[in-house]
Amino acid sequence: MSDTNQYLRLEVAGHSYLLPSVQRYTIEQRDNLTENLDHASGVAAWRIVRNDRWPAYALDGALRLARATPQWQRAVFLEGSPHMVGLIVDDVQLLPRGAVTATPFTPLGPSPTGEGHLFVNAWVNAGRVTLVFSPPALLGYLRSLGG
Amino acid sequence: MRKLATDQIHGLEIPISGLSLFLPSATIAEIVNVGTLTPVPFAPPWLIGAIGWRTVAVPIVSFEALLGGAVTAPRPQSKLVVLYPLRGRADWEFVGVLTASEPRPYMVQTATTVTPSTDDLPVTPYLATGIKLGDRLFGIPDLDRLRQAFYP
Repeated sequence: MSDTNQYLRLEVAGHSYLLPSVQRYTIEQRDNLTENLDHASGVAAWRIVRNDRWPAYALDGALRLARATPQWQRAVFLEGSPHMVGLIVDDVQLLPRGAVTATPFTPLGPSPTGEGHLFVNAWVNAGRVTLVFSPPALLGYLRSLGG
Repeated sequence: MRKLATDQIHGLEIPISGLSLFLPSATIAEIVNVGTLTPVPFAPPWLIGAIGWRTVAVPIVSFEALLGGAVTAPRPQSKLVVLYPLRGRADWEFVGVLTASEPRPYMVQTATTVTPSTDDLPVTPYLATGIKLGDRLFGIPDLDRLRQAFYP
Protein backbone atom coordinates (compact mmCIF):
# COMPACT_ATOMS: atom_id res chain seq x y z
CA MET A 1 0.00 0.00 0.00
CA SER A 2 1.17 3.54 -0.58
CA ASP A 3 -0.61 6.67 0.60
CA THR A 4 0.86 9.97 1.64
CA ASN A 5 -1.99 10.80 3.96
CA GLN A 6 -2.58 7.56 5.75
CA TYR A 7 -0.79 6.01 8.68
CA LEU A 8 -0.24 2.61 10.15
CA ARG A 9 -0.30 2.56 13.94
CA LEU A 10 2.26 0.14 15.32
CA GLU A 11 2.18 -1.04 18.92
CA VAL A 12 5.69 -2.02 19.98
CA ALA A 13 6.35 -3.13 23.55
CA GLY A 14 3.56 -0.98 24.90
CA HIS A 15 4.38 2.12 22.88
CA SER A 16 2.49 3.42 19.87
CA TYR A 17 4.22 4.74 16.76
CA LEU A 18 2.98 5.76 13.36
CA LEU A 19 4.34 4.72 10.02
CA PRO A 20 3.34 6.76 6.97
CA SER A 21 1.85 4.66 4.25
CA VAL A 22 4.29 6.10 1.74
CA GLN A 23 6.42 3.22 2.93
CA ARG A 24 5.37 0.05 1.16
CA TYR A 25 4.75 -2.73 3.59
CA THR A 26 3.06 -6.05 4.12
CA ILE A 27 1.58 -7.37 7.32
CA GLU A 28 2.15 -11.01 8.07
CA GLN A 29 0.45 -13.16 10.64
CA ARG A 30 2.62 -15.10 13.02
CA ASP A 31 1.30 -18.33 11.50
CA ASN A 32 2.97 -17.39 8.21
CA LEU A 33 6.35 -16.90 9.84
CA THR A 34 9.01 -19.29 11.01
CA GLU A 35 10.25 -18.52 14.46
CA ASN A 36 13.99 -18.35 14.81
CA LEU A 37 15.18 -20.57 17.61
CA ASP A 38 18.75 -19.34 17.29
CA HIS A 39 18.44 -16.34 19.57
CA ALA A 40 22.06 -15.37 19.05
CA SER A 41 21.27 -13.88 15.64
CA GLY A 42 18.73 -11.36 16.92
CA VAL A 43 16.17 -12.38 14.32
CA ALA A 44 12.86 -13.24 15.98
CA ALA A 45 11.25 -14.85 12.96
CA TRP A 46 11.67 -15.38 9.25
CA ARG A 47 9.26 -15.00 6.40
CA ILE A 48 10.26 -17.72 4.02
CA VAL A 49 9.75 -16.81 0.37
CA ARG A 50 10.64 -18.63 -2.80
CA ASN A 51 14.41 -18.19 -2.89
CA ASP A 52 14.85 -15.93 0.04
CA ARG A 53 13.89 -15.28 3.61
CA TRP A 54 13.06 -11.99 5.27
CA PRO A 55 14.09 -11.33 8.88
CA ALA A 56 11.73 -9.87 11.46
CA TYR A 57 13.10 -8.27 14.60
CA ALA A 58 11.54 -7.80 18.01
CA LEU A 59 12.26 -4.53 19.80
CA ASP A 60 11.73 -3.40 23.35
CA GLY A 61 10.15 -0.16 24.56
CA ALA A 62 13.33 1.73 23.83
CA LEU A 63 13.38 0.18 20.33
CA ARG A 64 16.43 -1.88 21.18
CA LEU A 65 16.72 -5.45 19.96
CA ALA A 66 14.86 -7.76 22.33
CA ARG A 67 13.44 -11.23 22.65
CA ALA A 68 9.92 -11.43 21.21
CA THR A 69 7.16 -11.73 23.77
CA PRO A 70 5.28 -15.06 23.69
CA GLN A 71 2.03 -13.41 22.67
CA TRP A 72 3.16 -11.58 19.55
CA GLN A 73 0.85 -12.05 16.60
CA ARG A 74 2.07 -10.03 13.64
CA ALA A 75 5.05 -8.58 11.88
CA VAL A 76 5.14 -5.59 9.57
CA PHE A 77 7.60 -6.00 6.72
CA LEU A 78 8.99 -2.90 5.10
CA GLU A 79 9.96 -3.02 1.49
CA GLY A 80 13.63 -2.46 0.93
CA SER A 81 16.63 -3.68 -0.94
CA PRO A 82 17.92 -6.37 -1.09
CA HIS A 83 14.92 -7.79 0.72
CA MET A 84 12.12 -6.85 3.06
CA VAL A 85 12.78 -6.39 6.75
CA GLY A 86 10.20 -6.97 9.43
CA LEU A 87 9.29 -5.57 12.81
CA ILE A 88 7.41 -7.69 15.33
CA VAL A 89 4.44 -5.76 16.68
CA ASP A 90 1.92 -6.35 19.43
CA ASP A 91 -0.75 -4.74 17.33
CA VAL A 92 -1.09 -2.95 14.03
CA GLN A 93 -3.91 -0.83 12.71
CA LEU A 94 -4.37 1.13 9.52
CA LEU A 95 -5.86 4.45 10.61
CA PRO A 96 -8.52 6.09 8.46
CA ARG A 97 -7.28 8.54 5.86
CA GLY A 98 -7.11 12.03 7.38
CA ALA A 99 -7.32 10.75 10.97
CA VAL A 100 -3.78 11.90 11.70
CA THR A 101 -2.41 15.41 11.36
CA ALA A 102 1.32 15.04 11.65
CA THR A 103 3.59 18.01 12.23
CA PRO A 104 7.36 18.18 11.85
CA PHE A 105 9.42 17.05 14.81
CA THR A 106 13.17 17.07 15.29
CA PRO A 107 14.49 14.86 18.10
CA LEU A 108 17.46 16.53 19.74
CA GLY A 109 20.96 15.12 19.70
CA PRO A 110 22.80 12.94 17.22
CA SER A 111 20.92 10.81 14.72
CA PRO A 112 20.99 7.13 15.63
CA THR A 113 21.05 5.94 12.01
CA GLY A 114 22.92 6.84 8.87
CA GLU A 115 19.56 7.79 7.38
CA GLY A 116 18.92 10.37 10.07
CA HIS A 117 16.61 10.46 13.05
CA LEU A 118 14.13 7.63 13.49
CA PHE A 119 11.34 10.17 13.83
CA VAL A 120 10.68 13.17 11.62
CA ASN A 121 7.10 13.97 12.49
CA ALA A 122 4.75 13.68 15.41
CA TRP A 123 1.05 13.67 15.93
CA VAL A 124 -0.31 15.68 18.83
CA ASN A 125 -3.74 14.56 19.84
CA ALA A 126 -5.39 15.78 23.07
CA GLY A 127 -1.97 16.81 24.34
CA ARG A 128 -0.42 13.40 23.78
CA VAL A 129 2.41 12.82 21.36
CA THR A 130 2.70 9.90 19.00
CA LEU A 131 5.99 9.80 17.14
CA VAL A 132 6.00 9.17 13.40
CA PHE A 133 8.74 7.02 11.97
CA SER A 134 10.93 8.17 9.15
CA PRO A 135 10.53 5.20 6.81
CA PRO A 136 14.11 5.28 5.46
CA ALA A 137 15.55 5.61 8.95
CA LEU A 138 13.41 2.79 10.33
CA LEU A 139 14.35 0.61 7.40
CA GLY A 140 18.02 1.46 7.85
CA TYR A 141 17.82 0.78 11.56
CA LEU A 142 16.18 -2.60 11.10
CA ARG A 143 18.74 -3.51 8.46
CA SER A 144 21.53 -2.55 10.82
CA LEU A 145 20.34 -5.20 13.27
CA GLY A 146 21.85 -7.86 11.03
CA GLY A 147 20.33 -11.14 10.09
CA MET B 1 34.21 42.12 36.77
CA ARG B 2 32.34 44.37 34.41
CA LYS B 3 28.89 45.84 34.19
CA LEU B 4 26.45 44.54 31.65
CA ALA B 5 25.91 47.01 28.86
CA THR B 6 22.17 46.62 28.96
CA ASP B 7 20.34 48.85 31.43
CA GLN B 8 17.31 46.69 31.90
CA ILE B 9 16.53 43.11 30.93
CA HIS B 10 13.26 41.37 31.57
CA GLY B 11 14.00 37.75 32.26
CA LEU B 12 12.99 34.58 33.95
CA GLU B 13 14.66 32.61 36.68
CA ILE B 14 14.55 28.96 35.71
CA PRO B 15 15.27 26.92 38.82
CA ILE B 16 17.00 23.61 38.26
CA SER B 17 18.54 21.38 40.89
CA GLY B 18 21.45 23.20 42.51
CA LEU B 19 21.36 26.21 40.23
CA SER B 20 19.13 28.78 38.66
CA LEU B 21 19.30 29.75 35.03
CA PHE B 22 18.44 33.18 33.73
CA LEU B 23 16.95 33.71 30.31
CA PRO B 24 15.58 36.88 28.74
CA SER B 25 11.81 36.86 28.48
CA ALA B 26 12.09 37.30 24.72
CA THR B 27 13.43 33.74 24.42
CA ILE B 28 10.46 32.19 26.24
CA ALA B 29 7.25 31.24 24.51
CA GLU B 30 5.26 29.90 27.45
CA ILE B 31 5.45 28.22 30.83
CA VAL B 32 3.26 25.13 31.07
CA ASN B 33 2.51 22.27 33.41
CA VAL B 34 4.49 19.12 32.83
CA GLY B 35 1.71 16.84 31.58
CA THR B 36 2.50 13.63 29.75
CA LEU B 37 6.05 13.11 28.58
CA THR B 38 6.41 10.77 25.63
CA PRO B 39 9.76 8.97 25.60
CA VAL B 40 11.91 9.47 22.51
CA PRO B 41 13.88 6.31 21.74
CA PHE B 42 17.63 6.76 21.15
CA ALA B 43 17.56 10.23 22.65
CA PRO B 44 20.53 11.40 24.69
CA PRO B 45 19.98 11.13 28.46
CA TRP B 46 19.25 14.86 28.75
CA LEU B 47 16.29 14.60 26.37
CA ILE B 48 13.68 13.28 28.75
CA GLY B 49 10.76 13.15 26.35
CA ALA B 50 8.38 15.21 24.28
CA ILE B 51 5.15 16.95 25.13
CA GLY B 52 2.28 18.02 22.96
CA TRP B 53 2.13 21.79 23.00
CA ARG B 54 -0.37 23.57 20.78
CA THR B 55 -0.12 21.52 17.59
CA VAL B 56 3.50 20.47 17.81
CA ALA B 57 5.62 18.03 19.78
CA VAL B 58 8.23 19.79 21.88
CA PRO B 59 11.35 17.96 23.09
CA ILE B 60 12.01 18.47 26.79
CA VAL B 61 15.51 18.87 28.17
CA SER B 62 16.85 18.13 31.64
CA PHE B 63 19.40 20.89 32.01
CA GLU B 64 20.88 19.10 35.01
CA ALA B 65 21.70 16.12 32.81
CA LEU B 66 23.01 18.40 30.08
CA LEU B 67 25.42 19.83 32.65
CA GLY B 68 26.64 16.32 33.42
CA GLY B 69 24.47 15.63 36.45
CA ALA B 70 21.74 13.10 37.02
CA VAL B 71 18.62 13.11 34.91
CA THR B 72 15.88 14.75 36.89
CA ALA B 73 12.34 13.53 37.06
CA PRO B 74 9.49 16.03 37.18
CA ARG B 75 8.40 17.02 40.68
CA PRO B 76 4.93 18.19 41.66
CA GLN B 77 6.13 21.81 41.56
CA SER B 78 8.02 21.41 38.27
CA LYS B 79 7.09 23.39 35.17
CA LEU B 80 8.16 23.31 31.58
CA VAL B 81 9.61 26.45 30.08
CA VAL B 82 8.99 26.37 26.35
CA LEU B 83 11.69 28.28 24.51
CA TYR B 84 11.31 29.81 21.10
CA PRO B 85 13.31 28.07 18.35
CA LEU B 86 17.00 28.80 18.57
CA ARG B 87 18.56 31.10 16.01
CA GLY B 88 18.58 29.61 12.53
CA ARG B 89 16.19 26.80 13.35
CA ALA B 90 12.75 26.17 11.87
CA ASP B 91 9.85 28.07 13.37
CA TRP B 92 8.31 24.93 14.82
CA GLU B 93 11.45 23.76 16.63
CA PHE B 94 10.51 24.83 20.14
CA VAL B 95 12.46 23.29 23.01
CA GLY B 96 11.32 22.85 26.58
CA VAL B 97 13.33 22.94 29.80
CA LEU B 98 12.17 21.10 32.90
CA THR B 99 12.35 23.23 36.02
CA ALA B 100 12.73 22.11 39.63
CA SER B 101 10.15 24.61 40.80
CA GLU B 102 8.08 27.55 39.62
CA PRO B 103 10.05 29.96 37.39
CA ARG B 104 10.08 33.56 38.55
CA PRO B 105 10.24 36.75 36.54
CA TYR B 106 13.15 39.08 37.11
CA MET B 107 13.95 42.53 35.86
CA VAL B 108 17.65 43.07 35.82
CA GLN B 109 18.56 46.70 36.38
CA THR B 110 22.23 46.35 36.99
CA ALA B 111 24.18 43.16 36.91
CA THR B 112 27.72 42.07 37.18
CA THR B 113 29.07 39.27 35.06
CA VAL B 114 31.15 36.54 36.56
CA THR B 115 33.00 33.79 34.83
CA PRO B 116 31.73 30.31 35.61
CA SER B 117 35.18 28.90 36.29
CA THR B 118 35.90 31.28 39.12
CA ASP B 119 32.65 31.09 40.95
CA ASP B 120 30.03 28.60 41.92
CA LEU B 121 28.81 27.89 38.42
CA PRO B 122 29.63 24.48 36.99
CA VAL B 123 32.29 24.40 34.31
CA THR B 124 30.40 23.48 31.20
CA PRO B 125 30.21 24.63 27.61
CA TYR B 126 26.48 25.14 27.98
CA LEU B 127 26.71 28.14 30.28
CA ALA B 128 28.00 31.29 28.67
CA THR B 129 28.51 33.08 31.93
CA GLY B 130 26.77 33.99 35.12
CA ILE B 131 25.19 37.05 36.62
CA LYS B 132 24.81 38.09 40.19
CA LEU B 133 21.57 39.67 41.32
CA GLY B 134 22.19 40.77 44.85
CA ASP B 135 23.79 37.78 46.48
CA ARG B 136 22.26 35.32 44.05
CA LEU B 137 24.11 33.74 41.19
CA PHE B 138 22.42 32.71 37.94
CA GLY B 139 23.80 30.76 35.03
CA ILE B 140 23.14 32.10 31.58
CA PRO B 141 22.80 29.36 28.98
CA ASP B 142 25.00 29.59 25.91
CA LEU B 143 22.35 29.34 23.24
CA ASP B 144 24.85 28.78 20.43
CA ARG B 145 26.38 25.82 22.26
CA LEU B 146 22.94 24.50 23.02
CA ARG B 147 22.07 24.70 19.35
CA GLN B 148 25.17 22.70 18.50
CA ALA B 149 24.27 20.04 21.06
CA PHE B 150 20.63 19.90 20.06
CA TYR B 151 21.20 19.86 16.30
CA PRO B 152 24.68 18.40 15.69
